[in-house]
Amino acid sequence: MARSDGRKNDELRPIKMEVGVIPRADGSAYVEWGQNKVFAGVYGPKECLPKHTASPYKAVLKYIYRMATFSVPDRKNPRPGRREMEISKVSAEALESAIFTEKFPNTAIEITVQIIDSNAGTRVAALVAASLALADAGIPMRDLVSAVGVGKANGELIVDLNKEEEDAEDAVDIPVAVLSNSEEITLLQMDGLLTKKEWEKCADLAIEASKKINEMQKEALLKKYECKNKEGN
Amino acid sequence: MRKIVVPGEVITTERKKTRDHVFIKEGKILSDCVGLLNEKPDSVSVIPLGGRYVAQENDIIIGVVVHEVFSGYLLNINTHASSFLAKRDLDFLLKLGDIVSVKVISVNELREVDVSFPRGLNGGEIIDVSPVKIPRIIGKEGSMLNVLKNGTGCVVVAGRNGRLWVKDGNTVLLRETLALIDRESHTDNLTDKVTKFLEERKPKEKKTSAKEIAPKSESADEVEKGMDN
Repeated sequence: MARSDGRKNDELRPIKMEVGVIPRADGSAYVEWGQNKVFAGVYGPKECLPKHTASPYKAVLKYIYRMATFSVPDRKNPRPGRREMEISKVSAEALESAIFTEKFPNTAIEITVQIIDSNAGTRVAALVAASLALADAGIPMRDLVSAVGVGKANGELIVDLNKEEEDAEDAVDIPVAVLSNSEEITLLQMDGLLTKKEWEKCADLAIEASKKINEMQKEALLKKYECKNKEGN
Repeated sequence: MRKIVVPGEVITTERKKTRDHVFIKEGKILSDCVGLLNEKPDSVSVIPLGGRYVAQENDIIIGVVVHEVFSGYLLNINTHASSFLAKRDLDFLLKLGDIVSVKVISVNELREVDVSFPRGLNGGEIIDVSPVKIPRIIGKEGSMLNVLKNGTGCVVVAGRNGRLWVKDGNTVLLRETLALIDRESHTDNLTDKVTKFLEERKPKEKKTSAKEIAPKSESADEVEKGMDN
């Protein structure tokens, strides 16, 4: 059964990625994913304040996920709600396994992600942008974190649900973040009901799709130096 | 031109000595940052293209006095914590806002830095650059730095923490040249490109003024020679 926007079951929405878009940040990225538009800025490693939250063993990650009030059809209250706090927490944990935080004790690495246009899958787009921004900031990482949403809608197991599919009656939304090299999952949430077999298929779809995202991330990072590459080569 | 690698990219599965910015996982050597691959027959490292300054022993850096305590001064050295300079290492007094070049003596496990061997830098201004570009700005045995000094007529002291202290000469041209180096730091033959860039922009009158400034640049060389101790 065809999806509402004509995509195949394992097809992603059109994605654009750009790195180094916020000059004053240590690292930054902009990602357009379908209708989603996401800015990520990284500041740090810097002094960790308040001091009692600092760790003498590693850098503390502060991930701030916020949606702009105009990013959704009905104005969103600017005060950070439970959903944003939850996304911030799980995303920070997703990135922590990738970053060599032990190299920067007593510091904080602040990642701010602002959603300026939202249409399902913002937390995965935000993670992808955050990962690019961290790489742009020169923060040592084990791997880029690639993320994608998989799930079920209208009886089909699909990759990258859009808003319509998310609102379907039998919809299941599973955002997944993966360290592509090792295929380790660092973020996994589920909203809905699946059988075990369906879940196993979704997991495979997620890992496959995240590899495509990883390639795009790599391209975006190299693109910053591309023109010079062509000259040199 | 060197290959640019990204975090998590597999560099090699051969057994080699690992140097900066690489790590081993399951028998493979991977890069931990976006940078230029520096692979040799027996070792491998990655030269990062971005990142904040990480203090290391024996680095010469430029600090600004931000606080005075009984026994010394706290200097801002462009890291997350201030560094400490003991008064007993100085034979002159400093005040808030003074600029000094110092050498990193020790870095503890919390990356707190102790510095010594201070040299006062009077007047001039500080230009901030990305710390990872400083080795390129200095060049092999100071070659690029000499090109910059001669081409702009400025006195330049380069600190590993991403700060350049400059005085006199054409600082506007110097900033433009630094921007060029920043953009093209990953390409080859940069020293030649910079020399050409400065030649094109050097008006003939400036050549005489560069000679007048020459005596002062000798004292900067003395400062640098002193610091290399």
